[in-house]
Amino acid sequence: MLWLVRSAMVAFYPRTEALPGIADTGIDPFLRQFRSETTFMMWLGVVLAALLFHFTPLFTVFVPLPAFFLPASLRDKHARKIGNTNLYLVKQAMLILKLPAGLCWGRDPEVRKRFAMAAYAPDPDVWRTS
Amino acid sequence: MSSGTGTHVSFRERTETPFEGEVDYVVVGSGAGGAAAASVLVRAGASVALIEAGAWREPEQYPSSAYGGMRDLMDDWGAQIAMGRALWPIVQARTMGGTTVINSAICVRTPADVFDRWEKEFGIGRTGGKGRLADRVWKHQDDLERELSVEEVPPDARGRSNVLAMKGAAAIGYDSHYMKRYVKGCVGSGQCLQGCRKLKKQSTNVVWVPEVLERGGLVLSSAPVSKVLFEGRRAIGVEGRFDHPRTHRAGSVFRVKAKKAVIVAASVTHSAVLLQKSGVKSKSLGRFFRAHPGTGVFGCYDEPVDQNTGATQGWASTAFRNEPGLKLETLHIPLELVASRFAGGGMELMDRLSRYRHIAMWCHSVRAESVGTVRAGFLGKPMVRYGLDAADMLKFREGMYLLAKTHVAAGAKSVLPGISGLPFEMKADEIERIRTGPTDPRAYIAILSHLFGGAVMGASPDTSVTDGSGRVHGYEGLVVADASVIPSVLGVNPQHTIMALARCFAEDLLAS
Repeated sequence: MLWLVRSAMVAFYPRTEALPGIADTGIDPFLRQFRSETTFMMWLGVVLAALLFHFTPLFTVFVPLPAFFLPASLRDKHARKIGNTNLYLVKQAMLILKLPAGLCWGRDPEVRKRFAMAAYAPDPDVWRTS
Repeated sequence: MSSGTGTHVSFRERTETPFEGEVDYVVVGSGAGGAAAASVLVRAGASVALIEAGAWREPEQYPSSAYGGMRDLMDDWGAQIAMGRALWPIVQARTMGGTTVINSAICVRTPADVFDRWEKEFGIGRTGGKGRLADRVWKHQDDLERELSVEEVPPDARGRSNVLAMKGAAAIGYDSHYMKRYVKGCVGSGQCLQGCRKLKKQSTNVVWVPEVLERGGLVLSSAPVSKVLFEGRRAIGVEGRFDHPRTHRAGSVFRVKAKKAVIVAASVTHSAVLLQKSGVKSKSLGRFFRAHPGTGVFGCYDEPVDQNTGATQGWASTAFRNEPGLKLETLHIPLELVASRFAGGGMELMDRLSRYRHIAMWCHSVRAESVGTVRAGFLGKPMVRYGLDAADMLKFREGMYLLAKTHVAAGAKSVLPGISGLPFEMKADEIERIRTGPTDPRAYIAILSHLFGGAVMGASPDTSVTDGSGRVHGYEGLVVADASVIPSVLGVNPQHTIMALARCFAEDLLAS
């Protein structure tokens, strides 16, 4: 399922002239980390949202193909349309997908540099034991 | 493990022998309520066990990124949801210090009209034989402001967003102010939501939990309490299993007996559920859940705002607390979260994100009168049912208009209201459209940040769970000392009220 989630996130956060895309920001190790650390329900939500993203181009760009088979321009149009939907549950599902993607993209040192922000120090991932 | 004369016990493996302890008072939860109560009890010489479900992280161990913040500090990754017509997330922490670690430490005294309402509607006026509750709370708030070094956001730490908000309010002509917060010497690092690594925020894990240890107390971390233990109708202790801070695998059992009382302060969503799971019988338990729902409006400015610099929340206005019934504040949102807050996808989303340096987010929190419930749901986790009624949605929508108007008055060229059915971006001459925007809560991306109720206080056992000293009706030695007891919304940030109330309850316990 990782490739499915990855593909949807890349469609939402593509590389542009001004900014790195999520594919440039270590998404593969991020997704492995996220899957192992987050709750089952959160990961399930992300996977279901990715499935919804991939299997709805018929309703946005009127092409009966999953999003991962679409040419880049059409996939971008699908991402734009589904990302602007007013259908509540679809909107919520895309939010669930965009949230962890944003956590990955926005913590990247190169992305932060483009916004004049210092790179984050590593998360210590330790706690007090005594 | 000893520190000072006290003992801290963190995660223990399942194979280790169960941890057993006995103290005068067991306090469940180390946030604003629990730690405030514990500090009073240990200062009076009582033996206290402070038990926290989350791990204990020192400020230098706080995460830097928003990802780390959600993983290490938030309850369930911040994925707890209020179920209603719309699904709105509930923001609460699960770490030593509770939500005081991840909030903006905003200090607002309890308004007098709140006490008037409590007296009139809930019969809570004089408590513990020590005079009017209002006078007692305000006295504690005086003390807390000194003890926690409350200060106004200093000029060097304001950042441009807070200054712009002040300018906008002044241009329109309503009262506003730079916030007073429990922060000593803020340097404006903009990291309040991930915990203040600069050690400036006076969260309870920094001030009172160490004091509990210094005074010989017992502190358990990574120790979610699953049950309050009873002998008949008397609470005699608590038990649970340690929970690994990273993997969440179950550890050994812990059981701590209380010779005098158990004080439950596990948060609005967890306290009521813990009492339900422990078999406490009360018609009102889990009822009268209330909140201050809120959301933000972005303003787009020509010059960079760099909202990530300066105090995360440094400006506020209570000018609209009574009419229409809301509070306005700044709230600097990390880049990572803006990315998911914006509508759109693909190149369009990236184009919107490219303006991050030029946007400022200001938010409102609504003094909502809508009521919900909190109960044990799937796998015993808290389930909140809550939605805003039509009157509250009108306040909610009006708050968004006021924010947009303030942005425009501060010089914003456009605003991003984030309302389904309205344009993504609205120019200054279009913001009136917000006032006729949708009142369906599903059109808004909002959060519930200030929670109240679930175990409300009141004179009558038929309509409340505790009395005015937090003592659960019909039980001995069982006290609730967090926002669960608050029977109405406050219309201002609740931390100062929670801390002062908890101190009153602890005093009453000592007196009894």
